Amino acid sequence: MALERASLELGEGELVAVVGENGAGKTSLMNVLYGLYQPDQGEIRIGGERVRLKSPKEALARGIGMVHQHFMLVPNLTVAENVVLGHEPRRFGLLDFQRACAQVEETCRRFGFRLDPRALVQDLSVGSQQKVEIVKALHRGARILILDEPTAVLTPQESDELFGVARELARAGHTVVFISHKLREVLSVAERIIVMRRGRTVAEVKAAGTSPEQLAELMVGGKLPEAIAAREPVSPQAPAVLELREVSAGGAHGKNALSGVSLTVRQGEIVGIAGVDGNGQSELAEVLTGLRAASGGQLFLEGQPLIGTPGDRRGRGLTHIPEDRLRRAIISPMTVEENMALGRQHAAPFAHGPWIDQEGRRERTARLLKDYDVRPQDPLARMGGLSGGNQQKVVVARELDPAPKVIVVVQPTRGLDIGAVAQVHRRLIAERARGAAVLLISLDLDEVLALADRVYVLFGGRIAGELVRAQFDERRIGRMMLGAPEAPPEIAAHG
Amino acid sequence: MASSSPWKRLTGLGASATPSVLAVGASLLICFLAIALTKNDFTVAVEAYAKMFWGGIGDWPGWAEGAPFTALSRPWGEAATKGGILLLTGLSVSVAFAVGLFNIGAQGQMLVGALSAAVVGAAFQLPALLHLPLCLLAAGVAGGLYAWLPAYLKLGRGVHEVISTIMLNWVAVSLVENWLVVGPLRAEAEGSHSRSGTEEILATAQLPRLLGEASRLHLGLVIALLAALGVWLWLTRTRFGFETRAVGLGPEAARASGIPVQRRTYQAMVLAGSLAGLAGALLVLGTEYKFPATLGAPYGFDGIAISLIGLNHPLGVTLSALLFGVLRAGGTHMQLLGVHKSFPELIQGLALLFIAGRVAWEAYRVRRRKITPLPPPGEAASDAPAVGV
Amino acid sequence: MNLLEALIFSTIEFAPALVLGTLGAVISERTGVVNIAVEGMMRAGAFAAAAAALVMPTPLGLLFGMAAGGTIGAIHALLCVRLRADQVVSGMALNLVALAGGTFLLESLFSPSGTPPIEQLGRWQIPLLSSVPILRALSGHSWLTYVALLAPLGLHTLLFRTALGLRLRAIGEKPAAAATMGISVSWLRVGAVVAGGVLSGLGGASLSTSTLDRFEHHMPSGLGFMAVAAMVFGRWTPLGAFGAALFFAFGNALRIGLASSIPQISEVIPQGFLLALPYVLTLVVLSVQRRQSDAPAALGTPYQPELR
Repeated sequence: MALERASLELGEGELVAVVGENGAGKTSLMNVLYGLYQPDQGEIRIGGERVRLKSPKEALARGIGMVHQHFMLVPNLTVAENVVLGHEPRRFGLLDFQRACAQVEETCRRFGFRLDPRALVQDLSVGSQQKVEIVKALHRGARILILDEPTAVLTPQESDELFGVARELARAGHTVVFISHKLREVLSVAERIIVMRRGRTVAEVKAAGTSPEQLAELMVGGKLPEAIAAREPVSPQAPAVLELREVSAGGAHGKNALSGVSLTVRQGEIVGIAGVDGNGQSELAEVLTGLRAASGGQLFLEGQPLIGTPGDRRGRGLTHIPEDRLRRAIISPMTVEENMALGRQHAAPFAHGPWIDQEGRRERTARLLKDYDVRPQDPLARMGGLSGGNQQKVVVARELDPAPKVIVVVQPTRGLDIGAVAQVHRRLIAERARGAAVLLISLDLDEVLALADRVYVLFGGRIAGELVRAQFDERRIGRMMLGAPEAPPEIAAHG
Repeated sequence: MASSSPWKRLTGLGASATPSVLAVGASLLICFLAIALTKNDFTVAVEAYAKMFWGGIGDWPGWAEGAPFTALSRPWGEAATKGGILLLTGLSVSVAFAVGLFNIGAQGQMLVGALSAAVVGAAFQLPALLHLPLCLLAAGVAGGLYAWLPAYLKLGRGVHEVISTIMLNWVAVSLVENWLVVGPLRAEAEGSHSRSGTEEILATAQLPRLLGEASRLHLGLVIALLAALGVWLWLTRTRFGFETRAVGLGPEAARASGIPVQRRTYQAMVLAGSLAGLAGALLVLGTEYKFPATLGAPYGFDGIAISLIGLNHPLGVTLSALLFGVLRAGGTHMQLLGVHKSFPELIQGLALLFIAGRVAWEAYRVRRRKITPLPPPGEAASDAPAVGV
Repeated sequence: MNLLEALIFSTIEFAPALVLGTLGAVISERTGVVNIAVEGMMRAGAFAAAAAALVMPTPLGLLFGMAAGGTIGAIHALLCVRLRADQVVSGMALNLVALAGGTFLLESLFSPSGTPPIEQLGRWQIPLLSSVPILRALSGHSWLTYVALLAPLGLHTLLFRTALGLRLRAIGEKPAAAATMGISVSWLRVGAVVAGGVLSGLGGASLSTSTLDRFEHHMPSGLGFMAVAAMVFGRWTPLGAFGAALFFAFGNALRIGLASSIPQISEVIPQGFLLALPYVLTLVVLSVQRRQSDAPAALGTPYQPELR
């Protein structure tokens, strides 16, 4: 059950946050409010009146708008078409595009957004696309605005701008609901915070006077897992295991996604890559693992050129925990033991000669499932039936099993609950202690800062800066992530 | 370790076969009603079905009353002939499915295979021990090459295989039946009357009959069954088969783990084409003894139904191919009652239609088993590859 | 009539089935539902229209043809939209059912080779055109032909100039986005697939009521697949698909015209080459394109509201 007797009260002009772990029911609760899901029990009242919201259409009619974490925009349509979709202005039975543009311009002006209604959505930046989403809701007359994990794809600066917009809207009498799991951010922007756990609304606190630690304990429902222990700094004499010299590579759309990237990762070191999504992180991981060809520069593993297919590189001790688990790391319809064999299906204990070694595979899988406490401990379970956390444990177990020299880790904790996050982090720290070179690419700046010994910031496919642990400063890294810190904000809220 | 117990495996097998059994049962019932309604006579439908079943599995009641052995062996021969061809085209579609491709082109691959077998069968003077394998080889190679094309178009040029194999079917029909068979490869006129199709193959290229004159049952069924066994071993017991299935079920994950995705895709598609080509060889070397003016029977399209009804598993495909081989062999006997011999194809088409709806059945099973918690955002990618035709 | 006129005339004679079939495919696929069942829809339409026209005026029979195509479309929609079946499997299954079912019904109700003849649709002589050289080839076709020639413009207007069209395109690109704006993805898809079935059914009916005067056992003998090729060739746009359909119809006219007027030509260019041409051309065009496909982004993906 996704929700169980969850309650929520919103006042006019209020800025409220809903926090909880992944799967705590935040998004489900909002989807009920937005008419996407029907509650089995309970009721919704707006202005004291009991309403039944059977569809987003009815929610919109009642003044409820939602900005989804994954934008609900049609990329090859214009901004205006996206905004008016579902209640289009018509003339003689035809769609009146001119009037649609005028209407959207009017809405933008009223709320202080600057957007070109004739631009195609696919040509806009992520930040602008989010603004289109907000305009979409406001255009439909939303008085209650739900923002689902709105800062997940934004830089700290873009996030600040969004908070400004939200405060303005609240001041103008709108109700704004933030869904988030970033506690510091929630505490800085919301007035009232509702905590969800396992489908229930378990607590409600005022932001003033609450600490992030208190909030986190409410979310988890108990003491937090141990923080990452202090550790020895990396010895300057440690040899560089992985080295990139002036590496360039093309991206998905033909343009250069990486240009002249040089970096090193030493033995027993975790090196973080910070940056806003889409600045070359995926391409960097792909170039390293052999999934994408470098168009220039050289890669070295222990001083020898790192070339060849993903299989070759795996054979030389480079393993990969990919960002897109469902697509890149596991095969859901296959069994857990078959997934455990992926990448090593040609060698013992998974094969002898051309034949699959069924017993060897079973034994190794059973051992790893036990070591990593995967539930259920059934080598024949279907991988897709495991929870996200357990799937990730299988992936981590597989990739760390033969004591790799280099581990390329991308977004390893996305979508995991706090317990699983802690386990993954502990494993990475343990690999560092064992002497592995770890390259951690993550969009979660907190994660990078917590784990890394050294950080490179990627912007526009280039290294925009390098900081060692002692120099870590969120604001400074945030500016680097934006490339040009003085870039004029695209829009600003009124006032 | 609950799900590894033999009992669980058996019930699991039963549960996965249930939709197929239901689908075939439902379509048999609907088609029964169709005859009863169009003929306005219930007894005609009963009689037609009786003819279909006994005409496929052998006239046991007749044999019990003293009819000769051929009352059994003749139907067997017909059922085996059709079943063998269906098994090979069904396997062709299954093998392509294993690597994640939808091979609608089995028909075209079968056609070029049949033509190659006919040409090699007529052109060379060789001992049977060499001639027959050579014909089979030619058919397999031709079918395989013809299936290599859509694989290349997919991997090299990004053309979806559903579109390309549909197109290539018609290209094959046009070029083979409307050019080669009526033109360069047409049999020479014999005296005053002209002959249709290609030259007859030599006796050394014919598939030997297993029961002599008692039945048309020939080596083809054995070849098809061996092929099914081979495909099963390859897919479930070798690492190459494992890699192939990995490519089919999770191409990106397969690539990331170092599996040569392109090579496995080409291999599987070429194997699929060879199997369809072999089906064509069975038709020519076992029944027709030449490439006729038109090949007629769309066994390649039937392969799609056979494969999906058999859940794309070699064992299931074998069972469904044999079942429909039996029904089709019996179907010709229904013609005496005014029911077209293609009637079993209607049964098969309807069964496939029900199979297409089996996702709903599976969703129902999943719902009944447990209330699935909502996946966190971003984890909603579905297992099914998008088709994008 | 000279050769050119004859070619244009018979191109237009062949066109309606292909044009209506390809439009049926376009409207369905623009909303994200793969439609390779056009062949089956056309067969159902051709059979139903001819069978109905035996007992009623032919134009009324067309309604039955449309209904038959729409019924196949409705089954496809039920399977693909409601049950989220594999859209290619569903399409192929419907083709097999229509092929075998058509043969079964034909033999049960009429004779194995075809229905008895019916009254063909009336032909229109366009007053002014009929005396102009070349252009007079445009005159003298059945009214259904003219409907088919105007239909692409109608569908183009619908898709690109109306609110409904905007919604249809939106659900073919990103259904979840449309759903959050209060648009019913399922119903629009069902509507589009059924409408595609009606159009294809009408296209099939044109074969048995306008091009010929009966249903023949092999109809539409692959025209439905050619219609799908025309849709791909025309990059999923009504006007592009129309152009491709006309081009393919011209190829057909050329082949038959050449075979009957200059039989020797088949010594030089075998029939098979001309028959294969549309398919080969479609493959070539698809394989030389450098850019990403123009197919709707959500094509082939069932929409699952709970998995957004």
